[in-house]
Amino acid sequence: MIFEKRTERLFLAIFFIIALCIPLFLEANSFFVGKITTILILSVFVMSLDFLVGRVGLVTLGHALFYGLGGYLFVILTPEYEAVNFWIYALYVMGLSALVALIVGVVVLRTSGIYFIMITLAISQMAYYFFFDSLEFGGGDGLFIFMKPDTSIFGLSFLNLDNPTHFYYLSLLAVLITLVAIKIILRSRFGRIVEASRLNPERTEALGYNIFAFRLISYIIGSTLAAYAGLLFALQYGYVNPQFMTWEMSGTALVMSILGGMGTIYGAILGTITYEALLYLFEHMSEDWMLFMGGAIILMVLLLRKGLAGYLEKLLEK
Amino acid sequence: MANEIILETESLSKHWGGIKALNDISLQFQDKQLHGVVGPNGAGKSTLLNMLCGTLKPTSGCIFHKGDQIEGMKPWKFVRRGIGRSFQKTNIYAEVTCLENCAVAAQRRFTGSFNLFASRHANTLVREAAEKALHQVGLADRINTMAAEISYGEQRQLELAMVLATDPCILLLDEPMAGMGHEESQRIIELLNQLKQTYSIVLVEHDMDAIFELSDQLTVLDNGTHLITGTVDEVRNDLRVKEAYLGKEDEEEAA
Amino acid sequence: MSTELFFVQLINGLQYGLLLFLIASGLTLVFGVMGILNLAHGSMYMVGAYLVWYFVAVTGSFTVAAILSAIIALGLGILIERVLIQRLYHRNHLDQVLLTIGMIFVFNSLQSILWGNDPYGVAVPEALSGAVPFTDNSSYPIYRIFAALICIGIAAALYFVVSKTRLGMLIRAGESNREMVEALGVNIKSLYTIVFAIGVMLAAISGIIAAPMRSIVPGMGESVLITCFVVVVIGGMGSIKGAFVGALLVGVISTFAAVLMPTMSNMVIYLFMILVLLVKPQGLFAK
Repeated sequence: MIFEKRTERLFLAIFFIIALCIPLFLEANSFFVGKITTILILSVFVMSLDFLVGRVGLVTLGHALFYGLGGYLFVILTPEYEAVNFWIYALYVMGLSALVALIVGVVVLRTSGIYFIMITLAISQMAYYFFFDSLEFGGGDGLFIFMKPDTSIFGLSFLNLDNPTHFYYLSLLAVLITLVAIKIILRSRFGRIVEASRLNPERTEALGYNIFAFRLISYIIGSTLAAYAGLLFALQYGYVNPQFMTWEMSGTALVMSILGGMGTIYGAILGTITYEALLYLFEHMSEDWMLFMGGAIILMVLLLRKGLAGYLEKLLEK
Repeated sequence: MANEIILETESLSKHWGGIKALNDISLQFQDKQLHGVVGPNGAGKSTLLNMLCGTLKPTSGCIFHKGDQIEGMKPWKFVRRGIGRSFQKTNIYAEVTCLENCAVAAQRRFTGSFNLFASRHANTLVREAAEKALHQVGLADRINTMAAEISYGEQRQLELAMVLATDPCILLLDEPMAGMGHEESQRIIELLNQLKQTYSIVLVEHDMDAIFELSDQLTVLDNGTHLITGTVDEVRNDLRVKEAYLGKEDEEEAA
Repeated sequence: MSTELFFVQLINGLQYGLLLFLIASGLTLVFGVMGILNLAHGSMYMVGAYLVWYFVAVTGSFTVAAILSAIIALGLGILIERVLIQRLYHRNHLDQVLLTIGMIFVFNSLQSILWGNDPYGVAVPEALSGAVPFTDNSSYPIYRIFAALICIGIAAALYFVVSKTRLGMLIRAGESNREMVEALGVNIKSLYTIVFAIGVMLAAISGIIAAPMRSIVPGMGESVLITCFVVVVIGGMGSIKGAFVGALLVGVISTFAAVLMPTMSNMVIYLFMILVLLVKPQGLFAK
């Protein structure tokens, strides 16, 4: 029973039913399909952040580093015009991202609290400048993807990534797998200790657990998931650039997670959808959408402490 | 007839800048005995416990466990060796059930905690160990209650249960009866009487009746120095101890 | 590198470092005393710069503009503390991060609405323009010397206030034990308002001073903020002394890096920070 709360089951059931059907009704209008695909990909990113911040207790402002890394690694590893196998290269990208996460994690997890927030921010800035200033990696313009990888497994191909609808379902699958994977991990024996480390690190260490190891593994998992999301995003639009890695990207994901309800994981999906909807609304209302967004964020921190999921749960859980 | 010496300190000291919290403490703790540690406030009792469980590193001196030198090791290595510690300030996981509290404590004994897939509820051994610990301290009817919702005294019992769930060989107990009423304290005293037949216990307490009733050996600390160690009678009749305690009373009367 | 160039860059680096110190000291002061990590601190720097540009355009006098801007920044600081920051005191780091990110959004869009997104500049005031020759071929701009002196003056004033006045004593006490200060009957609310306002002023004043030396563009607040983080992480959060040492180090290192390794210069500072953290995870002068 990995989905324990009634609100959770209800929301996810409604979400997946609607999500599965959307392309059937919007086939003609592939702009919206593309837009929703992006929202799906973003929610994978935000779920991975929610896992790290809300459940492991690692408040990172540098999560976007891995989002961008996923895209960059894919472009760097693949030959320019040859259509490679998506699954194999996705594995390569995730493997390398995990390695980077290991190295970064070993450095940043020596700190905690405020220092952790600041050093994760600084490292993602460093990566941003690395790619921005680099000539080999496209500098500020970034790199382009000139081919669509093929998705055959053992010769059986059923997804054509050029087709927006197929890409949509690939992204929806990513959402499902990320959601289920995170929930299983949280319910596991590993998850028990991770939760304990967040609730009371001193006690958990006093009980003999090496908290550093648990946090490091969680950090690697969260970062690798973010890299996968970044890979999907880069593939969807055919390019990657340093903007993927900015602190604004990390901050926005954090806002989405809180809006939805930090720590609930399913709240990340809710939060991403709501944020993008609000953004669409504000952008069409006025040029100064940032003002409204900023105001909305401030109000939300002050009033809606547990996010939308928290509010829903108050209504629906007995 | 002395039992095996299971824990030992040699010239243990802890300085914070100019302040000497503990100075040159050499003690021996025997197996299957309850060794009380008392002293006026600020004597260094908590500092001693913190060092014996590895949370604090000594400034100088050594700690031996079954002959191995262990000071300076990481705290989780102390726990692996079977040195368990309860806290003076209640330090439980308030947001989960009592069972889950003890399950976290017990899990390390039975299964690899790096298993990302197996559900935490699936392992019966962990669950049984957690329940057993809760039974031992008398919290059988609170197994599925949130730790934040039980009474203060029950939380102190939970504190104890968590240590027991780790199946230690040495129990370092920091004022387990702090803030408890008479009846609750009695229960703990009975429990400790039972436990000292299996474990080696180091007990820091202010409740003198309990200490005198339970201690096989008693150490008195004062201002970071070791005054005396001996049987309860030896200590009670020692002049220096009387001075240390009574002297403080006189100071308070004069002021 | 010639000795001349070396010295010029060294002084440039120290002067930049002094400016960084002003900003960083505000950040670390607010965190040390109030426990608040204010991500919108960089926005205050930006506000100082934009305000002085605006008032110079309106009044024609840098001095008048500087004073007006400083006063407005002070008022702004008090307003923000009373309305928003006060509500953060018992909340966790995450809420602080989020609320102050929201503030960044608001300030950035206000900047865009009020003044537009074009880059602006403020001319160096007449009295301080020109340069002081110090060798046959080179001279050093007077304004930069002036800026450095102001920073040193403020640093000295800060040191004086913190170590010799009653306010400073309260600040130091509040840093180590908030509850005790409260129990002593001190009006914590007023103390916090004052401290926050000081923090904002420090950032705004450095924005005012920096305005004639760099272009005033959108996003300037955030880039300075992140450099500030590096300074404070290196120096140790909550330590003004640490902020001073950290700022000078960062100033000098990044100035030399820009000259010696222009393609990698942005990264060097972060590498240095990582190095420091590997050795001292709490910073050089941690409390």
